[in-house]
Amino acid sequence: MEDFWAAALSVLKTWLYLIVGLIMIPAMFGFSLGISETYMNILVKTLEWATLKIQKANIKERFQASPSNSLIQREDGSMEKELEELRRTRPKPPVGGDFTLSDCFYFTHRGIESIVEDEVTQRFSSEELVSWNLLTRTNIDFQYISLRLTLVYGLGIFVRYCILAPLRITLATIGLTWLVIGTSAVGLLPNSWVKSWLSEWVHVMCYRICARGLSATIRYHNRENKPKKGGICVANHTSPIDIVILCNDGCYAMVGQIHGGLLGVIQRAMVRSCPHVWFERAEMKDRHLVTKRLMDHVNDKTKLPILIFPEGTCVNNTSVMMFKKGSFEIGATIYPVAIKYDPKFGDAFWNSSKYSMVNYLLRMMTSWALDCNVWYLPAMHQQDGEDAVQFANRVKSAIAHKGGLLDLQWDGGLKRAKVKETFKEQQQKKYSSMVVGDDSSGSSD
Amino acid sequence: MGASHGRTKPNEFQELMDKTGFSAEQIKNLRIRFRQLSGNEETISRENLDSIPALANNPIKKEIIDAIFDKRNQHESEVGSFQEIGFEQFLMVMSHFRPPTLKTTVEEKEALRKEKLRFLFNMHDTDNDGIITLDEYRKVVEGILSKSGAIEPETAKGIADAAMLEVASTNVPNMAPDDFYEGITFEHFEQILKGLEMENRMHIRFLDVGTTMRCGRSTS
Repeated sequence: MEDFWAAALSVLKTWLYLIVGLIMIPAMFGFSLGISETYMNILVKTLEWATLKIQKANIKERFQASPSNSLIQREDGSMEKELEELRRTRPKPPVGGDFTLSDCFYFTHRGIESIVEDEVTQRFSSEELVSWNLLTRTNIDFQYISLRLTLVYGLGIFVRYCILAPLRITLATIGLTWLVIGTSAVGLLPNSWVKSWLSEWVHVMCYRICARGLSATIRYHNRENKPKKGGICVANHTSPIDIVILCNDGCYAMVGQIHGGLLGVIQRAMVRSCPHVWFERAEMKDRHLVTKRLMDHVNDKTKLPILIFPEGTCVNNTSVMMFKKGSFEIGATIYPVAIKYDPKFGDAFWNSSKYSMVNYLLRMMTSWALDCNVWYLPAMHQQDGEDAVQFANRVKSAIAHKGGLLDLQWDGGLKRAKVKETFKEQQQKKYSSMVVGDDSSGSSD
Repeated sequence: MGASHGRTKPNEFQELMDKTGFSAEQIKNLRIRFRQLSGNEETISRENLDSIPALANNPIKKEIIDAIFDKRNQHESEVGSFQEIGFEQFLMVMSHFRPPTLKTTVEEKEALRKEKLRFLFNMHDTDNDGIITLDEYRKVVEGILSKSGAIEPETAKGIADAAMLEVASTNVPNMAPDDFYEGITFEHFEQILKGLEMENRMHIRFLDVGTTMRCGRSTS
């Protein structure tokens, strides 16, 4: 029995040494041993092989449903034009308003079209893959193809759950623990440039370890546009991992609400070494207070740039939804950043109404890898005569354009809430003015 | 392993294709849509449809959603309404709006038209007595016209009454002034809308997401 424990202990020790040596040290100092690259290459080749096999089997069926953005073709006409056409075939009624039964048909038709396809609902579910990537969770329609494919799939499950997942969990734990300890230690130093430098180093190191913990391959483009101190960095939001991705390449000040529990511990530790903007729950409701604190932070040129996600919620990375105008009213320089994930190796989208945070992290750790591109866009300022909303939309379009995402006007809050009644009333008003306005004789019976 | 949840083999599509008249491709796309709406569940409830933002603009949203859950639209003889519907029932309702193909004969087009009219009739006739009474009609009119005060209830009522009168005079030409007009039956409904060109309007036009092969991979 004792031999067993001794053996287990030595295995554990070797395991830890391997991790420290092969992953942590390179992460701390920012160089790479090439292990991740080899892993990714093998992965890409395996997935290509799997895709070919599936395509060969599907050749008879010819069902390559390309992930086009729309399913149905809609009439482009306005409400007035369509109703005109519907009524054209009927003679005008001798008395009464201009209302006819046929008008209902227009609204019914539109309603059914919306049920079949609408722009918003599809943004809150994960992106459809063109070809299966050997993960159970993305397997919807794919059938049994060959023994070899199933074996590879089974091997994949084993590798992901028994080898990769424990490794990643270990790394994540080490990373977070180190973050807390490191930042608290740095916080003990007096304020000086040494402290800032050390604090940056500690932060970046921990985020690098976390990124290795997710097998993330990140490519940064246009690094000359990186956000500078005293500015605000805005990006599209797909998951909490966005923070890890962005902070791998620089240090930012976070904004958010203080939580309890583990997250709260991390937050409090972080704020010791360099200033972040954490709010109490009650303070978040007071918009002026929030704006003022952000402004104070931004005006202090020694403080790090603030990182904000103006969408306010996680979207599935095929589009960018409405940006809330709060961060654009402060008057600071805005540094837009576009983040685009490649869903082939693992879906990064956090559907917070469906999965809890822990569930989501486990799913992340049992995916193949994370592959994303980050584009830094040139800084933008609010122009004269432009209000906050227009400025926000301009920034949003730039981000959507660069990242290859669809630019939508809808509010991300629709994930949970319903559309306001005012929208419906607008439509009703329009129609009723058509009916009553056209009709000069009125229905004065 | 080898997950089989929600997987439908081609011959199962065949049954749905025969029943509803959609093509296999359209069924596949509609299934993806069904999953999006239901949040990957097996059934859709009214809340799922209620939360579509584009539908919120529609003044007769409630009537449309009721129609989707209406048992009369399932081509069976049951009445009442469902609480939730599964994919097959969803397809049955949507089949009222399926697009005609080049192969659709004249009789089939007539049948399609009648189906659409039936669907719309059911939407108005909420108590299922086969007649659209003045009250039912008024409800629809009020729904479409604004509740927010741009039109007074009196005006809306007047419009409904006038339209009803028109229907009556078209269908029962010799009605005496004291006769009570029961309501619009399905035959009257068809009669009123006889001239209305519906074939090219009231269906869903699916984009042709046809056989796009991936570039660079020859599947010969």
